[in-house]
Amino acid sequence: MSDQGHEHHSDFVPRRFLLAEFSTPAGLLAGTTKMREGGYKNLDMHSPFPIHGTEEALGLKRPKIPLIVLCGAIAGACIAYSLIYFCNVFDWPLNIGNRPPHGPPANIPITFELAVLLGGGSAFMGFFALAKLPQPYHPIFESDDFARASVDAFFLSVELEPGTDIDRALADIRAAGALSGEIVEESER
Amino acid sequence: MAAPQLDVRDPLEPVALIEGAAGHTDKTINDSLLAHVWRGAGKGWWACFAVALSLLGMLVISISWTLYKGIGTWGNNIPVGWAFGIINFVWWIGIGHAGTLISAILLLFQQKWRTSINRFAEAMTLFAVICALLFPLIHTGRPWFAAYWLLPYPSTNGIWPQFKSPLTWDVFAVSTYFTISLLFWFLGLVPDLAALRDSSQSKMKRTIYGMLAMGFRGSGRHWAEYKWSYVLLAGLSTPLVLSVHTIVSFDFATSVIPGWHTTIFPPYFVAGAVFSGFAMVMTWMIPARRFLGLKHVVTMKHLENMNKIMLVTGMFVSYGYLMEHFIAWYSGDPYEFAQFFYTRMRGPMKGIYWTMIFCNVIVPQIFWSKRWRTSIPVMWFASILINVGMWCERYNIVITSLHRDFIPSKWENYMPTWVDISLFAGTIGLFSTLFLLFLKFIPAVAVTEVKELRHELAHDPTADPVGETH
Amino acid sequence: MSCDDNHEARTKDRAKRRSLPIAGQTSSPKYWRSVEERDRTSPVPGAANEFAGGTFDVAQYGQEDGNGGNSVSRRGFMQVASLSTAMAAVGACTKPAHKIVPFVRRPEEVTPGNPLHFATAYGLDGYASGLLVESHEGRPTKIEGNPAHPQTLGATTSFEQSLTLSVYDDDRAKQIRSGTRPLAWRTFLAETAARTSQLGQNGGAGLRFLISPTTSPFLGDLRKRILDRFPSAKFVSYSSVADDGATDGTKLAFGKPLIARHKVASANVIVSLDADFLGEGNEQTRLSREFAARREPSRQMNRLYVVEPAMTITGAMADHRLRMPGGDVGAFLASLVSMMASRGIAALAPLASLTHGQRHWDPKWLVAVATDLERNRGNSLVIVGRRQPAAVHALAAALNVALGNLGNTVEYATPLTSDPTAGVAPLGTLVQEIAGGGVDTLVITASNPVYGAPVDFKLAKLLERVPNSIYFGLYEDETAAACKTMIPAAHPLESWGDLRATDGTVSIVQPLIAPLWGGIQEADVLAAFVGEGDVGAHALLKKFWKTQGKAPGDFDGTWERWLADGIVPGTAAPAEAGLTVDGQALAQAVAPALGAARQGMEIAFASDPKMYDGRFANSVWLQELPHPITKLTWDNAAMVSEATAKALNLEDGDVVEISYRDRRIDAPILRVPGHADDVVTLPLGYGRTGGEKVAAGIGFNAGELRFSDAPWFDRGVRLEKTERQIKFSITQDHWTMAPDGRETPPPVVSATIAEVLNPHSKFHTEVEDRRPDPEHPQPVIHKPVDYSGQPYKWAMAVDLNKCTGCSACVVACQSENNITTVGKENVRKGREMQWIRIDRYYTGSFEDPEVVTQPLACVHCETAPCEYVCPVNATVHSDEGLNEMVYNRCIGTRYCSNNCPYKVRRFNFLNYINDYSAARELGMNPDVTVRTRGIMEKCTYCVQRIERKRISTRIEGRMIQDGELLTACQQGCPTGAIVFGSLNDSNSKVSQLHADPRRYDLLYEIGTRPRTVYLARVRNPNPELGQPEKAGGHE
Repeated sequence: MSDQGHEHHSDFVPRRFLLAEFSTPAGLLAGTTKMREGGYKNLDMHSPFPIHGTEEALGLKRPKIPLIVLCGAIAGACIAYSLIYFCNVFDWPLNIGNRPPHGPPANIPITFELAVLLGGGSAFMGFFALAKLPQPYHPIFESDDFARASVDAFFLSVELEPGTDIDRALADIRAAGALSGEIVEESER
Repeated sequence: MAAPQLDVRDPLEPVALIEGAAGHTDKTINDSLLAHVWRGAGKGWWACFAVALSLLGMLVISISWTLYKGIGTWGNNIPVGWAFGIINFVWWIGIGHAGTLISAILLLFQQKWRTSINRFAEAMTLFAVICALLFPLIHTGRPWFAAYWLLPYPSTNGIWPQFKSPLTWDVFAVSTYFTISLLFWFLGLVPDLAALRDSSQSKMKRTIYGMLAMGFRGSGRHWAEYKWSYVLLAGLSTPLVLSVHTIVSFDFATSVIPGWHTTIFPPYFVAGAVFSGFAMVMTWMIPARRFLGLKHVVTMKHLENMNKIMLVTGMFVSYGYLMEHFIAWYSGDPYEFAQFFYTRMRGPMKGIYWTMIFCNVIVPQIFWSKRWRTSIPVMWFASILINVGMWCERYNIVITSLHRDFIPSKWENYMPTWVDISLFAGTIGLFSTLFLLFLKFIPAVAVTEVKELRHELAHDPTADPVGETH
Repeated sequence: MSCDDNHEARTKDRAKRRSLPIAGQTSSPKYWRSVEERDRTSPVPGAANEFAGGTFDVAQYGQEDGNGGNSVSRRGFMQVASLSTAMAAVGACTKPAHKIVPFVRRPEEVTPGNPLHFATAYGLDGYASGLLVESHEGRPTKIEGNPAHPQTLGATTSFEQSLTLSVYDDDRAKQIRSGTRPLAWRTFLAETAARTSQLGQNGGAGLRFLISPTTSPFLGDLRKRILDRFPSAKFVSYSSVADDGATDGTKLAFGKPLIARHKVASANVIVSLDADFLGEGNEQTRLSREFAARREPSRQMNRLYVVEPAMTITGAMADHRLRMPGGDVGAFLASLVSMMASRGIAALAPLASLTHGQRHWDPKWLVAVATDLERNRGNSLVIVGRRQPAAVHALAAALNVALGNLGNTVEYATPLTSDPTAGVAPLGTLVQEIAGGGVDTLVITASNPVYGAPVDFKLAKLLERVPNSIYFGLYEDETAAACKTMIPAAHPLESWGDLRATDGTVSIVQPLIAPLWGGIQEADVLAAFVGEGDVGAHALLKKFWKTQGKAPGDFDGTWERWLADGIVPGTAAPAEAGLTVDGQALAQAVAPALGAARQGMEIAFASDPKMYDGRFANSVWLQELPHPITKLTWDNAAMVSEATAKALNLEDGDVVEISYRDRRIDAPILRVPGHADDVVTLPLGYGRTGGEKVAAGIGFNAGELRFSDAPWFDRGVRLEKTERQIKFSITQDHWTMAPDGRETPPPVVSATIAEVLNPHSKFHTEVEDRRPDPEHPQPVIHKPVDYSGQPYKWAMAVDLNKCTGCSACVVACQSENNITTVGKENVRKGREMQWIRIDRYYTGSFEDPEVVTQPLACVHCETAPCEYVCPVNATVHSDEGLNEMVYNRCIGTRYCSNNCPYKVRRFNFLNYINDYSAARELGMNPDVTVRTRGIMEKCTYCVQRIERKRISTRIEGRMIQDGELLTACQQGCPTGAIVFGSLNDSNSKVSQLHADPRRYDLLYEIGTRPRTVYLARVRNPNPELGQPEKAGGHE
């Protein structure tokens, strides 16, 4: 929106979140499922540790990480072997103590290591990419309560489309078993 | 903490994994485990840190001197081309392995007791590998070239690295190992960093930990991917840790030198690595749990399990020794035989050999007894002896094998110089410094995982979890 | 223009051309051919005075001789000077830098980058060894033997090899001085002139010359002219290791002083009495070659008996060795003689009574020797060492004559040195004169007599009484300190002169380079006393030879040929004919000398295989060279036998106080296998206190105990153990072949001639198990690379049967390949750098061991274990099977060395080249990379020589012929034990040796397929004495 320069004040539409705390992981799961069935989109849970059943509650698809890692590992192996082959066989073969230039057994270690390196690397990078991290600011941080999400509290957050009836949403979430509910609004920077 | 009313127990194990879990909530766990981070550095910490720093100073001095004058400042000679440098390299790498083993393999086996010590062990891995990484570089004659000629880049010499050399394998193995360990460690750390961020009092700490936490907000969508990438990293680390020490052992196994040229090295090195690694964890964990107040999460059960592992791996190692000698005799190779039955047992360095036998074969046997297995002082001294023994093992393999090989006319003895010794002491200093900083600024126990564990333990499939009564 | 002028011009051209490098083509060994080629090249007019007079101010010290006399060296010098590296060295010279003319005009022989070879000669004790010196752009870099020379036959000793180091030695004296006052040569000449005119008054009564023994006809002539001018002046020759015993002995035997010329080649039986004829003496190089030729395992193989106190390399080669104190050797010989007499050799009858009853030696031994000598009348030889007194030499002469060996295995001839003897006797008289105050001017050109002379002469103190003492020497050594005037000597490679070999053949000594530190030539010093000090050695030398009538007709042409060939034909001196011994007279003469030995422990002095008499003490190469037997470096030691050490409860390195007569010194003990009991052997040449930096503080000075009446050995020495201990830098401890009882295959194989000749002996199965067998090849994983398609397949063979362990190859290799030295501390740590390691193994008992030496350098394994472990491809295989080191690629992991089963790789643990002087850098071989810190190095089979030869033969469009390409070690080896060549040439010497029945591969069993193989050592024991027992051995 920066293209509209001085006017951009007026156009700024803050994202709104409904943030509700649940007492237990189980409660959180139940509440999430309820809300999702209640037709709410963009739900997310926030807990200090992973909770079993999160995927089902949020209705997530299969995680993509395993596939990414597989590709990374295979790429690593191929790069390693072809590199060795290029260097010691194709580009400049030498008589090294009567050993043949292409000695497959001698190539195993590096091939394996590079597979692990790229596999592991893609597991790590993959996660942060998919999670869109690092992300210094997220509207949800506006809530003072939310600090406890990493300590001992279990939150459900719902991103509300513009024009959602807030009171109704609050009512729904209480019905879903939340201890409290609040509206968090993205602050303008 | 309040005396436990209802003691939460691992279904299989009689001893508590978290003592007085009933008295605990996520909050109390959180605070108790982060306490040592918030608590200012005490006298004890500063004392240790001072010692560590002075040792680190020795490291800096001896490295500078080595780079300035050359390897001649060490005790190495021909035939003993490798000495302290490589011993320390192998020793530190070995120590590192226990960390990966604890955090990765035990994770895959779903060993719940792992959670309280894995962070600790992973940190140890990292720091040990950092110490190890120093040596392959500075032990070369021309480090300023070694630093990059080992990498396959189109150089003006037009020559590529020689990929049949175990040293080239080492380069890839060790750097991979370091990278993966770092990623694995950091990934596990992210949620705790978030916790630190959110429970930090001062603005500065909040900002710093905030940056490190990278805006992690415990989102369920994140957790879903997170668990996978964590498990996969663990899955990759497990074969990695085995491969790394296997490859390190290839440095010796692929050569022709009697005492090096043996096929048993890979498994025997890995076992040795785990053996010495666990010993090192013990040596650090026992004081740490006391002074950091972690007794409720690092319980006697953990220590006992580790002692059992040391007993087992110790016997692997002993079997390795037995086999070396058996093959030396059975193969009928006169040089091999002379190496084990003359040079090592009766040669000028027999003291090292017998120390090794005592520390690595005899000492672990005490862990058969439940009483000793659970006695803190006994296990602590044992762990130190085992560290010594494993260092002697490397001395035997590297130096004793080299100093008397095939042709008697070129036999030489070996005598370390002050540089050798201060390099070794220096790496211990480096390790300690890093470790103390770690203990000061990063939760020594994986808080998130302990919370998770508490819930898992408390979880009753039918009803609400126990201990949730607010 | 008168024909005179023409002649003049021609001479100038000649002079100029002669002034250019004469010995010819770069890499062709046929140096002499180049003369003809040269004669075809036309002179460049006017080039004669190209650098006429004072190009740099030579006139300043008067060496300019008007017709380019110095220009060989001057050109060389300017080439040197043009190198920036030389500037430091130049700065040390007396010439102003701005007068140095850079090397702009290239003389036709010099192709930059291609070395030239110049023939010259070097005399250790006055007798010539003919040398060829390799010169790169005027810088001598390598010494080889001159194949045309009757003494060296193309080989060298380690002493000669070390000359290219000492010529660049920065410690050499650089300034003529009188007291502390620096002198210009001209000033010195002026002062000398003044003084001599004074001395002339009374015929030079107060004028004395103390010179080294020399055979130089030229110096002899100068001496004559000096004596003509000063009839009452005297010349005295002195060497602290002189052969006067031999000449005095022949005087006893034949009535006139003679020297023995041995011909080992025709001797079936050799009895060596305290004679290290393979390791020292004027004939050593030739005798080694002749001896080795007769060691071929056949019925013709010779047999060597050695009687000696301390193990020498000759003793190590012996078939039978009897250890006894040096003082008893005479008695042994007497007993031998009388036994021969009793066996009816008439000539010896008068000597029959000489025996001194039963001695401690094994009578069987004596009988066996006697029988063998008798059986081989005419083809036997008795050699006596320089340490033995006249009587023993006389007896030996009598025995040789009686056995009819005269003319066949030995002949006697008039000594060619200007004085028959150069020992303590003549020096004694001089000392008397000095003490009597009768000496006004003493000119000392002898090598460091103050250090070498017997202590009871107290020479240093006496010299204070000489008003005008002039020392002419290479270094500011002990003698320089004791003399008023010091004249820095020009190095043998910087001087003109001439020398004669033992057979009389004359060699012209020509300089390779201008005196780097402004040294003066000996001839100039002597000439100063006939007022010709400013003429220049070259002019004088040439003038002298012009008058000798050796060159009828075109003198200059002949002269050039002499220089090119390195020998003056037709100068050999005939041997004495019709020599007879008067037995009666001899018996009376020697009887007293052979009186029963006195009791007590014997003190014995020995010239050192490395330091000789101390004159090589400043050579780092020789200091670091492992002693051929003890493998000791950077030290000397009081050597005793195991039993003696036990009796005195001494360990190696224990410092003992040696007290003899009224004197005491401290020395560390070293036990040596095969050393005689109750004898302590003290090597000379150490404990130097002169100005030489390298030599300072190395070892102890055995000369402190040397008295004029007992220059070599005497009884009555006492050893007192002190508290002190020192740690030797020994490169190999007393390892036998099976140390600590392990049963690994022995590194060296030795057998008796009988076993070798019997095809079914266990010796043959033993070696067959240790070499490839076409029928049953070693199992391999990888198919062996096929080298048969290559032009060459380089390989080496070392005949342990010929190797005496003299170590000439080690220094030759060091010189050729710019191998650094590491110093005492680093040798002790096991970091010595010599590429060739001569392993010395004992078998048998500590008392009477058999010794086998095995030169071991990189064996160039086809399946080299060092290569596959190098992470950076710094060591790889060449197409022709060389195991190559790529220095600039090496990062120094030392993995290759660890994985080398032979441990022949050397590592630069420190930057040893840091402390090279600028001058020393000039001596480096430009064909070989100088290695810095952190780099692995090893034998390359002299790849630089291979490539040079490859280039030159390619230009000629042909293959390299077998034998025209020599590695440095091979070329230096006096016995021809090392053979190098291509296995693809089935007729090559090396191919034949690889097929030799004695061939075995070191560590064959681990499958490295080495290209260097060994031929087993063979001994020829006397069946009557049986086998020396082969026990496991010691330590």
